[in-house]
Amino acid sequence: MGHFSFYISTLVVYFGIDLMSAWSLNLQYGYTGVINFAYIVFQAAGCYVAGAAVLGPDTGPNSFQHYILGARLPFPVPLLAAALAGAVLAAVIGLFAVRRIRRDYQAAVMLIVSLILLQLVENDTSIFNGQNGLTGIPHPLESALGLSLAEYEWVYALWVLAICAVLYVVVQKLCRSAWGRSLRAIRDQEDAASALGLNGTKLRLEVFIIGGAIAGLSGGLLVEFIGAWSPGAWGYAETFVIFTALLVGGVGNNRGMLLGTLIVPIIVLEVPSFLPTVGYPGLIDAIEWIIVGLSWMAFLLFRPRGLLPERRFRAPRLAAALGRVGLTDVISPAPAAEVPVLADADAPSATVRAGSGGEEE
Amino acid sequence: MSSVGEGTAAVMSSRARARERPQSPAVLEVRDVVVRYGGVVAVNGVSLDVHRGEILGLIGPNGAGKSSLLAAVGGQQRVQSGTILLQGRDVTRTAPYTRARHGLVRTFQTTSEFENMTVFENLLVAGRGASGASLWRATFGWRRYRAEERRVEEKAWEILGRFEMADLVDAYGRELSGGQRRLVEIMRCLMRDPAVLLLDEPMVGIAPHLVAKFVRDLRAVAAEGIGLVIVEHALEVIEQLCDVVVVMALGEIIAEGTYQQVVADEEVRRAYLA
Repeated sequence: MGHFSFYISTLVVYFGIDLMSAWSLNLQYGYTGVINFAYIVFQAAGCYVAGAAVLGPDTGPNSFQHYILGARLPFPVPLLAAALAGAVLAAVIGLFAVRRIRRDYQAAVMLIVSLILLQLVENDTSIFNGQNGLTGIPHPLESALGLSLAEYEWVYALWVLAICAVLYVVVQKLCRSAWGRSLRAIRDQEDAASALGLNGTKLRLEVFIIGGAIAGLSGGLLVEFIGAWSPGAWGYAETFVIFTALLVGGVGNNRGMLLGTLIVPIIVLEVPSFLPTVGYPGLIDAIEWIIVGLSWMAFLLFRPRGLLPERRFRAPRLAAALGRVGLTDVISPAPAAEVPVLADADAPSATVRAGSGGEEE
Repeated sequence: MSSVGEGTAAVMSSRARARERPQSPAVLEVRDVVVRYGGVVAVNGVSLDVHRGEILGLIGPNGAGKSSLLAAVGGQQRVQSGTILLQGRDVTRTAPYTRARHGLVRTFQTTSEFENMTVFENLLVAGRGASGASLWRATFGWRRYRAEERRVEEKAWEILGRFEMADLVDAYGRELSGGQRRLVEIMRCLMRDPAVLLLDEPMVGIAPHLVAKFVRDLRAVAAEGIGLVIVEHALEVIEQLCDVVVVMALGEIIAEGTYQQVVADEEVRRAYLA
């Protein structure tokens, strides 16, 4: 039971962190069309900065690990520092990567950025201890709470879920605002959006920085839970897991991210660890990655909008405006009325439902 | 066949006639604009004026430089030299979104509706004064944002009613017919309360029986005091719609006047109508 409890609480933490990642990528790709194949870099930045922020200053040549930005900051400042690190890195990379370029070029730029930064951190041991990475990162408030490890892990899982709940409210509010609508407009037709007054580069940079901050925060939460971080944990393939969750769950639907995160990083990548070992060591791991890749392709080909597609916005029926233009007669309370069968513009036929508007349930 | 001298005389006379246009200050002034693609000169020193409430038709053979000129005015194409004044303000070097904020909006040759957004959302995106489009206000200015959003929504309903598109309010852009998409583009432009509206081949994809309605709609738009510039190959539409017609060939204006005047012009007949 002890092992099982530990396993489940770990899964909950991973689920929460992957969910935050999926929301971040959904903002960037689902709403704005930015193909951020460097996503994991921003999470890694959060991991390193949060880790260094609690490890204390680097003690010099005799220390077994060397890093920059060492400090001993109280909880939750390291998490805020992690979010800030993700945002700052996104601002720097975004200045050249989210300019108006073709999306396939943008994806290539992101992938290259990811590889360069990985090589840099891996080979320069003075930044974040090179290949060995940072270890011994303490759990926040562990001694102050005075709980057993199993109890502490459940408290931590709840902490992560609480942050997810707050983040969901914030992300939904942003996505449903006029700002969120502008993101979708530049995603669909940037020339037209620009000709209507929207500054696509500025909007992309804003969303890229917000996504970077969320990624950094998720990294901070992750490293404070697992206690270590090294280049082996942030290969570019990790980004593809989150992208697959996004495609499976439903591009542009934040609730779909719940489903996609549950299916891809949790069920596909974690459940097989319950299966009896078959074949040679590593075979199950290899099969997991094949399933991730096949899921990506299958959803792109057969269900590109994912399991829970972006939701249709229903226009609010404003009685005053409708009355002014003589549209009150076309308001029908019929709840079953659907979007009309579409023909020519001179053939208005269907009804407009009365109501307050909003997204379709 | 007329000589070069005769052609020039025809141009001069048609331009002279064109000076009978409104005496109010031009809302859009294009002065000696040059657009080059590498070594190819697409627009060569073109000048024209558009007044409030006026519909200016831009016609000419393929490759004449009409769409390049429209792109230069809209800001999608950089100009090598020349000046573009919008309501007296020099916008020659500004981005398209800045020009839109100053009152110049446009549609494109291929329909450009936001296909994964509903008709209503297509209109809201362009809603002038929707301060929620700013990240800061969407996040922290909730009360003011709601009030402005409501005003934009009311305006969208009014425009939908005017164009008889209210029944399609919740349809996605991708679910519309070609003609409906064109109407959405124009309605979207009107949401910004423009001073100048540029339309690039607006009749492409419009069913023949809808053309008359479309012409009426555009006339109503101009009657609001908006200056319209239309690039169009359907000459019957130009004839019905335009107050003044400018004919381009090989990057230059070869005639300017009313429709009847320019189609009677010998050089226009030779370069375009023949």
